[in-house]
Amino acid sequence: MRRGADALLVAALVGAVLAALLWGGSALSGSDVLRVLAGGGPPEARTIVFGLRLPRIVLALLVGASLALAGAALQALLSNPLADPFLLGISGGGAAASTLAVVLLPPLAIALVPAAALAGAALATAMVWWLARGPLGPSPTRMILAGVAVNAATSAVILAVLAMASSPRLPGALAVTMGSFASASTEAVAWLVPYILLPAALLLHHGRDLGLLATGEESAAALGVDVGVVRRRVFLAAAMLCAGAVAFAGVIGFVGLVTPHICRLVFGQQPRRVLPRAALAGAALTVLGDLVARRALAPVELPVGVVTAVLGVPFFVVLLRRSS
Amino acid sequence: MLCVRTHTRRCGFFILAVSIACAGPQGRPGLRDQTGAIVPSGPATRIISLAPDVTELAFAVGAGARLVAAPATADYPPQASHLRRVDPGDLESVVALRPDLVLATTAGNDFRFVARARALGLAVCCTDVTSFARLAEACRLVAAVVGCEPRGTQLAAELGARVAALERASAALPRRAALYVAWWEPLIVASPGTFHDDLLLRAGLANVAPGSGGRYPRLDPETLLDSRLEVVVVPDEPDMRDGFTRLLSTTAGSRLRARALRTIWLPADAANRPGPRLVDALAALVLAREREP
Repeated sequence: MRRGADALLVAALVGAVLAALLWGGSALSGSDVLRVLAGGGPPEARTIVFGLRLPRIVLALLVGASLALAGAALQALLSNPLADPFLLGISGGGAAASTLAVVLLPPLAIALVPAAALAGAALATAMVWWLARGPLGPSPTRMILAGVAVNAATSAVILAVLAMASSPRLPGALAVTMGSFASASTEAVAWLVPYILLPAALLLHHGRDLGLLATGEESAAALGVDVGVVRRRVFLAAAMLCAGAVAFAGVIGFVGLVTPHICRLVFGQQPRRVLPRAALAGAALTVLGDLVARRALAPVELPVGVVTAVLGVPFFVVLLRRSS
Repeated sequence: MLCVRTHTRRCGFFILAVSIACAGPQGRPGLRDQTGAIVPSGPATRIISLAPDVTELAFAVGAGARLVAAPATADYPPQASHLRRVDPGDLESVVALRPDLVLATTAGNDFRFVARARALGLAVCCTDVTSFARLAEACRLVAAVVGCEPRGTQLAAELGARVAALERASAALPRRAALYVAWWEPLIVASPGTFHDDLLLRAGLANVAPGSGGRYPRLDPETLLDSRLEVVVVPDEPDMRDGFTRLLSTTAGSRLRARALRTIWLPADAANRPGPRLVDALAALVLAREREP
């Protein structure tokens, strides 16, 4: 059963990538894309496939995997099914800094927007960690509460920035808040890959520890888990993944929340099993979401976050009903 | 009569010279556009415009025949309506049309899109018109990148002369406190530093909008009740008329209703697009002011 589900997951991922490559835009037909992939086609078609579509697909894969992996890890760490990068204010911090940078930076400094997002997410993470500190270290409940407070603050910053943004900057600032892969480029992918590799590897490495933590801190400690270290590492690694995702694609909701739930329903509760599968499922969902966002009302592009919610939530509801 | 003929002949020679200068594709020098970015040198035989104002500029400097596509909103001059349509947010479609020059503007185009287009190797010239002086500069810039410098210089001089004449006419009018209303609900106005601010200034009006809050800040509707405010200048389009009608029935619209606050409606496209027809909007504004009771 699980092996079949694994095969289905990989097939869904490959199918989503192929569909996005062949039908991801209105300028080239599927046969044009195949001609380019075979080494033919005019230069502009090659630019579209290799300069626009492929980087966009790879960025969507990376962002989707990062968000889902971070969500799965945070839900396991905090034993809270609602925990995700948004609830903890991490995405909000990145988005607030991004919108500020989009509105304030001169046009030639546009390349600094992702750096600002990373700094904003890091600041939000630090604030959540600092606010959640108690006599016995940061507790899951305090972390959620601190996240809600930081989220409210970052939302206020974003709204203030949007209210004061000049009209040429407004589309860019709105794109940050709604999520978009329109700015995907080879350079963005090259920046993001090394940035997410370490935290992703760290989370996968701690999969077993997260499973033991779910049985209780004391029993986990008795079985050799350094609870404080694992908690700190997992939280920071998840925050880094979210920061990278927000920096290059803006805020994309539901992937980090829904995907881990779907994976737990299909593959069981063990974080060791769920984490890698959540990454794959998140990647597939995001690529598919971006494809629908581009094609549903083409040439108008919908916010990716809206589509990922529309795609993910009904699937989640069906699985939830079946399992109950 | 002789004088008129001589003048006509001179004009004819000038137009011929401009036509020859703009007759065909030419290599353009590498120039800096109004956002400070370098426009790579090269021919301009397949030009894509991403906004109505730069479409009008391209036609005005004599490069209309080399435009291969423009957005659906580009409807002036009438020939622009026959151009192939391109979505200014769809980079794939822009690339597929193989442009050797893309004309963009900060008044409507997403600057991240412009940055991506440049990163893909497209030659992009972006205008940033914030005043009539910058409009004249944009005329010369666009003309230079499409290889029609003489026409650009001539157009800039013509626009400059018209603006100067209108300024002289408005100098005799009383200076009044005004706002340029970009939207009624919520109340969004043009702040100092925008081309709309310069429009008010040249027509002898003092823009009372705050300098903070971006180029087009959102104001408290109570601003319309301030007795110091004397004139509101508004683009004449259906949505603005509807908003105005709704506002008249509210408390915030009481001064408008009582005509204590004068409303001047301007031709919307001319007033909203920072292109050559902005001077027509200025002429309409000055004329409306001259007819003040």
